[in-house]
Amino acid sequence: MKPGSYVMGIDVGSSVTKGVLLLDGQILSTFMLPTGTDLNVTAGECIRRLLSNRELTQKDVLYTVSTGYGRTQVEEADRTITEITCHGRGAKALVPRAGLVIDIGGQDSKVIRLDEDGMVADFVMNDKCAAGTGRFLEVMAERLGMSLLDFGRMWKTARKPANISSTCTVFAESEVISLLSRGIAPDAIIRGLCDAVADRLLGMVHRVGLVPDVVMTGGVSKNEGVRLSLEKKLSLKVVVPDASQFAGAYGAAIIGHELAMRQ
Amino acid sequence: MAPEGVKTTKSHREIAGETRRIKVIRALARKSWVHSAAKLVINYMERRGGTPYQINAIRCFADDFKHAYLREKPCIFTSAFVPNELIYGLGGVPFLPEAASGFAASFGFAKESLAVCESLWYSPDLCSFHRAGVGASVLELAPKPAAVVVSSHLCDGGKRSLYQISQYHDCPFYILDVPYTNSLQSLDRLGKQIEEVAQSLEQEVPGLSKDHMDEAIANSNAACSHYLDLCNLRTNIPSPWRGREALSYVVLFLWSWGSPWLTKFYQALAKHAGDIVQSGEYPVRNERFRLAWLNLRPYYSPRLFDYLEDECEVSIAFEEFSYMYWDPLDARDPYVSLAKKIMSNPGWGPIERRLEVINRIVGEFSVDGVVQFAQWGCRQHNGGASVLSDYLRKKGIPFLNLDGDGVDARNSGEAQSLTRLGAFVELMESRNIRNSR
Repeated sequence: MKPGSYVMGIDVGSSVTKGVLLLDGQILSTFMLPTGTDLNVTAGECIRRLLSNRELTQKDVLYTVSTGYGRTQVEEADRTITEITCHGRGAKALVPRAGLVIDIGGQDSKVIRLDEDGMVADFVMNDKCAAGTGRFLEVMAERLGMSLLDFGRMWKTARKPANISSTCTVFAESEVISLLSRGIAPDAIIRGLCDAVADRLLGMVHRVGLVPDVVMTGGVSKNEGVRLSLEKKLSLKVVVPDASQFAGAYGAAIIGHELAMRQ
Repeated sequence: MAPEGVKTTKSHREIAGETRRIKVIRALARKSWVHSAAKLVINYMERRGGTPYQINAIRCFADDFKHAYLREKPCIFTSAFVPNELIYGLGGVPFLPEAASGFAASFGFAKESLAVCESLWYSPDLCSFHRAGVGASVLELAPKPAAVVVSSHLCDGGKRSLYQISQYHDCPFYILDVPYTNSLQSLDRLGKQIEEVAQSLEQEVPGLSKDHMDEAIANSNAACSHYLDLCNLRTNIPSPWRGREALSYVVLFLWSWGSPWLTKFYQALAKHAGDIVQSGEYPVRNERFRLAWLNLRPYYSPRLFDYLEDECEVSIAFEEFSYMYWDPLDARDPYVSLAKKIMSNPGWGPIERRLEVINRIVGEFSVDGVVQFAQWGCRQHNGGASVLSDYLRKKGIPFLNLDGDGVDARNSGEAQSLTRLGAFVELMESRNIRNSR
């Protein structure tokens, strides 16, 4: 592979599509946009914006790897890799001491145990519904009339969490309504919701085995409330790298870089 | 005989599931000309050079279905692990509602059966193979049973749902209470139960007679011999048979021991596998990995297998439900022999027995990874998932517990299943890369 080669990773998630452009293996630029309804068009737009920011075209890119639930819809991809492998590789690159990755996306959550080389040693995914995922938190935030960004601040002001027994999006929504009608403070409800998500993840963590450092990736990693609940329940610090939302796309790009080098 | 239970009236059939196509299928299944036409079609397929093992499989079911639906022989409903040599040996035809659910799902009829079952207050949490079996019976898509015989192993839901079917059809119900531990006393006790059931069936159901027992035992042993040839051929690398097909033909493995057609089926299939090995025309040509598949599969869609076998070039080398676990039967002592067969089932008794068989499959079929299809509502398999996972992890064998449903498509997300399978293949790839360093 010649010096000055560009490689791209595109992560078409259920809510957000992310792209990472590498130059000689180093991050050159990132871009993300809502996934929308036409996955192919969204992925194309993500690629166009990534490249145009650097005055490049698709011809300049040596290799592209797509990942995420819409990975097969990316026409420009040379290879598709599942988001489990990509999040593992991306997290390891962002946090070299990473042993366990918790990735909570829009419609699913995954816990990935890594080996010393950053390869996936084991993984589990959530059940088939949206319980405890980004969509769950979005619906709850909407019901409470606040932004997801408020969750961290509200979590800290809550004296104790409200008891939320379900992570089923529909059932939990009715629980929230019931708690509000009983005059329970919104901050306690938010902390209860974050705890419910963390409880669900806790079982998944122990299924694959807890190996520090624990790294959070995916859109929900930016939700400080969920991170705080997880830290409390795991009794350890959970690392959220700055580019946590791009971990999947970054992992895809790293794999693309390796594949391009083998060509 | 079981005490009288709640009778299900015909009006339930009208609550849900009764559609025009169900009415048509129900009527057609009972027309003699349909069965005659089926025979002509099978003969035509044979003349046109159809694949012999597939033709024999169709013949096996066409023959039994004709006898059952046209009431030429007494039809005895059995649960999945009752040795059907007993039924063929009495001159009857077995019908397995649980296995028929897989058929219904393959042909797209499961939806109506599940709907009618739910209208009867069955919980959607019950295994869909049982739910669809009850629904098909209430919709009278299944033939009318003359009696129902179940065993207490392996599934609890099976015996309870089949009891309900016996109540609906107002026919005798028998249960073989299988001892949990394997001992001479257990064998003796179970052998006596089987003999008593045979005697009772002979007295209660007109047309049944033990005169056919020797023939059924001989058929079973002959089929077993060809089946072992097939198993031996399946140790070949690459695999000579597609896993998706093997998981479909598991229905014969559960249903047809004692039938003369099963011998012909396995003989033809072993020849087919031998021909593949000779010619080198393997179904997954560039086989990269070999899997052991535990439990069943989704029967309503082949997508997982298109992905696994065609796109990822991964073979299913062998299936847990295809494992031959019993010794040849003894015609001189058929009931104790059938008791031994039941007691040898590795899914019954301590979980170590199942682990041992899985370990043998991994070794004999050169398996790279193990996938357990975690059937929704299956206590038998899912209850041991943690022990199984730990056992395989300690041996360094990659393991995937793949949530899904064999019959009820509402209980699984295909995209998620594909991601899990894809990640599992990538995990095996990364292990290979690391081990080759």
